[in-house]
Amino acid sequence: MRRSRWTAALLLMFAAVALHADAPGVYAITGGTVHTVSGAEIPNGTVIIRDGLIEAAGAGLTIPADAVVIDATGQHVYPGLIDSQTAVGFPAARPVARRRGGGAPTQRSEQPALPETSAAYEAVRNVKLSDDDLDARRETGVTTIVTAPSFGIFNGQSVILNLGDGSPEWRVIRAPASMQISFNTRPAWTYPDSLMGVIAYIRQTFLDAQQQVAARSIYERNPAGNRRPDDSPAIDALSPVLRRELPVVFVADTELMMRRAQAIARELNLRPIYSGARQAYRMADELKAAGTPVLVSVKWPAPPAEKDDREDQPLRVIRDRQLAPTTPAALAKSGVAFALVSGPGKAADFLPGIRKAIDNGLSADDALRATTLWPARIFRIDRQLGSIDRGKIANIVVTDKPIFAKEAKVKRLLVDGREIRLPAEEKKEKGEAGSAIDGGWDLAVRSPGGDVSIHVTLHSENGKLTGTFSGDRGSGDIRGGTVDGTSVELTISVRAEAEANDWVFHGTLSDGSLSGTVSTNLGTFQFTGRRSR
Amino acid sequence: MRSAIVMAFCALLSGAPAPSPAQTVAITHGTILTITHGTIPNGTVLIRNGKIAAVGPDAQVVVPAGAQVIDATGKFVMPGIIDSHSHTAVEGSVNEISLPNTGMVRIADVLTTDDISVYRQLAGGTTTALVLHGSANSIGGQSQIVKWKWGRPLAQWFIPEAPRTIKFALGENPKSANFHPPPGVTPQYPATRMGVEEVIRKSFVDAKDYMAKWDEYDARKARGENPMPPRRDLLMEEMSDVLRGKVDVHSHCYRSDEILMLLGLSDELGFKVRELQHVLEGYKAGKEIAAHGVTAGTFIDWWGYKAEAYDAIPYNVALMTRDNVIVSVNSDSDELARHLNQDAAKAMKYGGLTEEEALKLCTLNPAKQLRLDHRLGSVDVGKDADLVIWTGHPLSAYSRVETTLIEGDVYFDRARDLANREALAREKRDRLNKEADDEAKEKKDKKDKKEKKEPAK
Repeated sequence: MRRSRWTAALLLMFAAVALHADAPGVYAITGGTVHTVSGAEIPNGTVIIRDGLIEAAGAGLTIPADAVVIDATGQHVYPGLIDSQTAVGFPAARPVARRRGGGAPTQRSEQPALPETSAAYEAVRNVKLSDDDLDARRETGVTTIVTAPSFGIFNGQSVILNLGDGSPEWRVIRAPASMQISFNTRPAWTYPDSLMGVIAYIRQTFLDAQQQVAARSIYERNPAGNRRPDDSPAIDALSPVLRRELPVVFVADTELMMRRAQAIARELNLRPIYSGARQAYRMADELKAAGTPVLVSVKWPAPPAEKDDREDQPLRVIRDRQLAPTTPAALAKSGVAFALVSGPGKAADFLPGIRKAIDNGLSADDALRATTLWPARIFRIDRQLGSIDRGKIANIVVTDKPIFAKEAKVKRLLVDGREIRLPAEEKKEKGEAGSAIDGGWDLAVRSPGGDVSIHVTLHSENGKLTGTFSGDRGSGDIRGGTVDGTSVELTISVRAEAEANDWVFHGTLSDGSLSGTVSTNLGTFQFTGRRSR
Repeated sequence: MRSAIVMAFCALLSGAPAPSPAQTVAITHGTILTITHGTIPNGTVLIRNGKIAAVGPDAQVVVPAGAQVIDATGKFVMPGIIDSHSHTAVEGSVNEISLPNTGMVRIADVLTTDDISVYRQLAGGTTTALVLHGSANSIGGQSQIVKWKWGRPLAQWFIPEAPRTIKFALGENPKSANFHPPPGVTPQYPATRMGVEEVIRKSFVDAKDYMAKWDEYDARKARGENPMPPRRDLLMEEMSDVLRGKVDVHSHCYRSDEILMLLGLSDELGFKVRELQHVLEGYKAGKEIAAHGVTAGTFIDWWGYKAEAYDAIPYNVALMTRDNVIVSVNSDSDELARHLNQDAAKAMKYGGLTEEEALKLCTLNPAKQLRLDHRLGSVDVGKDADLVIWTGHPLSAYSRVETTLIEGDVYFDRARDLANREALAREKRDRLNKEADDEAKEKKDKKDKKEKKEPAK
């Protein structure tokens, strides 16, 4: 702490202002290594921020008299990271349960219905970011996300958000950012309930949109004697996509899914982006030739937990999962425009996943580009974001070590030129040991035979949830527990008659209480949880 | 270096043949079962650019210098086996079960290249297949003819001139006798054989309306008007093309009454049925089937597995053949698709087909059913060099496949397969070991870090 007494005093004065005032302040981040991304690194550089924008960046700059100085000596200064594929702020998609051998699901779903999405679904009007969502992302140096629901086939129009404090309107960088399409089947006996049906459905929907464009144009010129086109928001919303103004993000993980997306995009003359793309190592040169940008998910395929299950897997599956993390290096080598993204993984997967890509041949510099300037270019927001350059939005992250180093910690974060209090600091201030989920909970599962009470004790670390349970249906350890922002998942083995069965809880943490659904061998039920006394 | 390793992986991964350096391949000194013009002992097949350039006795076929030679002394050579009823290599469900007519869905959209069953079928001499939907709906969707070019990109599996095909289904399955919706979901219409007939009839009636609408639109356009275009409906487009004769109908069926129903319906509505699939009671209606120019793909000795299969008999193949129906034995099964030669052989026992008639059941006849007999199904000059080399006569249960070629390239070779096994097993072991080592190291790092932190407290 070499901050002068004067600046410390000023900082105290400004702290409240900087955090809560409407107008962003003036900052000078000094002494750190500035990674501009667009140009060379500036050792001992200064970044000056005013009114939410970057005013200057360089070495030996004069610090404005009205600036709050952030001393980053020995630290690293980056543009805030952009995570360009997330489903933050939307309910989690649920896998369609299917009976062994395909066909009918095991249980009629009793879960609350997800919102119906369509091309007309606007993420910007529906996104709900919780404080925990924000914290989980900010802790990884992410200041900007692209988000859309992950359920449905037409997931809707995604939105680009800055993760600042304030109103949702304040956060919006661009809406819509893309039309997002996933090859998700609907529940059995609802069209389309197969992959081939989903593809036919997508194709027909776009044909309908083409038809609508043609019909509107004819009708506008000559309304007399023609039937007026129907009002159809879900179809009309595809017009900018057909005009190639709005790109289509196809969520496609495997080589074949990308090829399927490619076939649709070619047939309909769309502007595709592939997201997921963990088999893109197989087709890097082709992607380059086609000029298709790729959002590579760094949630790399993991081996099964049990040794026997690994042995049972064919070599091609093992090879594929080991080669998947070579994808970013392969794409960089071929010159494909790509970004590294967390979706469909969690916030906590982001940095470890990027490190794995670096371990597999991606340079740290390219990893940084793939989380800043390159996604900004892919979504055409590179005049506003993606590098530390004069005039760009002041999203800045300061870390104690190079950002992708294993031990690196985010020390300071600015979004839209305002300093954001980091969750770690807040915890320190509040004297809290763990996150909001840690500790004892009393869960009540609403089964048709009456409520089942289960007491759990939880401990979270790096997104993983461990602990024990006890109650009406036996006791034991929690398995497969994860926590990401406000969403919590855990599995327990309960006793029912002589058999042990897995109960899988999917819950959301809100205002200190838990609620969600639990999938069991007997069906899917609601549950609620409150803090044990 | 890395890319060299990756390339080596890819080659292994696919088991793909390197593009043959020699454009000319000669299979020499083998017993050649030509299917169309008898058996040639001590014969040679010359392959040039993937096509059969010459076939005849060794003495009559000149093998050019530089040709790659496969010595087939003591072995048998036959055309690649064709399976006209496959569900192999489909990603996701083969049934889009939600509607009675899903003629808009396409198998071509969901084929995968990494279904190991494809390689296993090559090891049984199968080189071409018609990949169909399931039979949960009266009209299942657009099927796809493919060659099993394991290790090649999917685009190369298609035969550009192959006809378009559509799957229909009659009987128990489309009336949902064997498919049950989840609790609370209303079962799919139709629930009876009458309903199945009605679904098919109505689909064509609708298609005729659809065609008329477009005809009217085209006429108005031709008159210089600027009318609203009708909605393009991918289901109706497909049904219209069936009526126009551009799409071949392959229909799943069992009982003779429903077979006659479909033939009657085709007369009434003006579409053509190309192949009846399963057609276990075909022997009761052979003359009618033949009179309609319809072909039949069946099982030799599967019966009794559901009510509509009770009247099946193993003589079905022979009886329909004697009624001049073009008959094939096909698989409907990843497992059976590996030894269709044996099912063909059984037709010599059940009904006394000749050796050549039996061989046709899995070669030339399915080629005709798929309208690809100008390219496939026999060892004739000008046809695709899809060839199988056997240790003995393929109609013997003791014979096995040595080598399978498609368009002159080797896609299965038993010796090569055996030679690769140890290296593949070693690679798998090494990869799993490395994974376990990495995990152990990560665990240890975490533990060390924790221990380092503890004393500080």
